[in-house]
Amino acid sequence: MPGPRLFSILRQGSCLIASIHTALDDSQLLRFQQDLVETIGRDRARGVVIDVAALDVLDSFATSTLRDIGEMARLRGAATVVVGIQPEVAIAMVRLGLRTGVLETALDLEEGLARVDGRLAGAADGRRDR
Amino acid sequence: MIPIVRRIVAARVPDRATADDLVQETLARVLAAVERIEPGMVEPYAIVTARNVVATMWRDQDRQRRHQHRVVDLRPPELPDEDVLAQEDRHAMAEALTRLSERERDTLLAHEVSGQDTHSLAAELGSTAGAVAAQLNRTRARLRVEYLLAADRVEPPTERCRPVLLALSSGDRRRQREVDAARHLLECELCARLSEPLMGRGRSRDDEVRVAVRVDADVVAARQAARELAARLGFASTDLTEVATAVSEIVRNIVRFADAGEVLVELLDSPRRGIRITARDSGPGIPDVQEALREGYSTYRGLGLGLPGARRLMDEFAVASEPGRGTTVTMTKWREAG
Ligand SMILES: [Zn+2]
Repeated sequence: MPGPRLFSILRQGSCLIASIHTALDDSQLLRFQQDLVETIGRDRARGVVIDVAALDVLDSFATSTLRDIGEMARLRGAATVVVGIQPEVAIAMVRLGLRTGVLETALDLEEGLARVDGRLAGAADGRRDR
Repeated sequence: MIPIVRRIVAARVPDRATADDLVQETLARVLAAVERIEPGMVEPYAIVTARNVVATMWRDQDRQRRHQHRVVDLRPPELPDEDVLAQEDRHAMAEALTRLSERERDTLLAHEVSGQDTHSLAAELGSTAGAVAAQLNRTRARLRVEYLLAADRVEPPTERCRPVLLALSSGDRRRQREVDAARHLLECELCARLSEPLMGRGRSRDDEVRVAVRVDADVVAARQAARELAARLGFASTDLTEVATAVSEIVRNIVRFADAGEVLVELLDSPRRGIRITARDSGPGIPDVQEALREGYSTYRGLGLGLPGARRLMDEFAVASEPGRGTTVTMTKWREAG
């Protein structure tokens, strides 16, 4: 891809850290979704942290794309946490009437990773108990 | 807009390098005129300009061929073209003046030739200086139209031609909309050809930004342009994000449902400071605006999606839509409470 990277997907243990680097248009968001879901399957990732701090807005399309990613990841056995939603972006989302729905959110990358780790540990405990 | 211009030029000019030059020339002319034409007309104007630019090139080549022929023939040169042109020019201007009403002509000549000011003209005419100035502008616009028609020795083929040409000549966007100049330019060869000299170079304004919308990336460009312009008024960052989000919601409709459109972002001074966004397209139109605007209509995926959300983010919001003709969304956010 020419020019600066629009997003990056890095592996850390059994988790993926997907960072959006700039404002994305709808087709770029869909490419992000596709790349991320493919990587989740290929790497057999158990957790995904999506960092959206660099997105200028979270409009209805971006929000539903994130929700779709969460749902697709869940179907492939991975937990998703969205981090870095800026305060003014959150306010606009609420006024717009958007909800992240089932999508889990955390303040920043660190907290997001902790959350995913917790979810994985919880899931592992659950399996042991069974 | 650029792909359409390319298609038009490429269909007429086989040589790639020449075609590229003509596309550049077309875009330069469109850019020069963009301030004076209403947003919905940029594309039709680009189309007719592309055709004009190509036609001019063929004419020039033709003239060159004739000149080559002359050189080979060693015939004496004819009258310089300039003299002939100047004569035709004067004749056309004289003819155009006869087509004004007597009162229009007298007022115009008194002002332009004798240098009489609008105040004394107003006193003579029992009018106000402002009204005289406005009338003078209308007269000049009419004179330009009549001059071009006379120089071309043509009568307009339809009754709609003169109103359209007049609206273009006066740069009156509201009037251009009323007479549907955009459509007429696509249908009428004469007006298409005359539109170009009528538009001329407009002044550029730094309190407004236009973004042509065709593809997804244009949505981002539009919302960033709105945010940047709004930032100049010192809006809080929450407000800036709300404006950008509303623009994103609205402009997405143009990409999804219309082939092309345009977003105009303007800073307002009155009745108070604010930012107004006008998103216009020539798409299929929204069949049921009330339905599309209904609150909580979140699963709605048809024409006009995202309208209720955008309305919640802005202070003022209006939708005008005509099936088969297009949609215009106008929304405003005020800098301070009214
Ligand atoms: Zn016409």
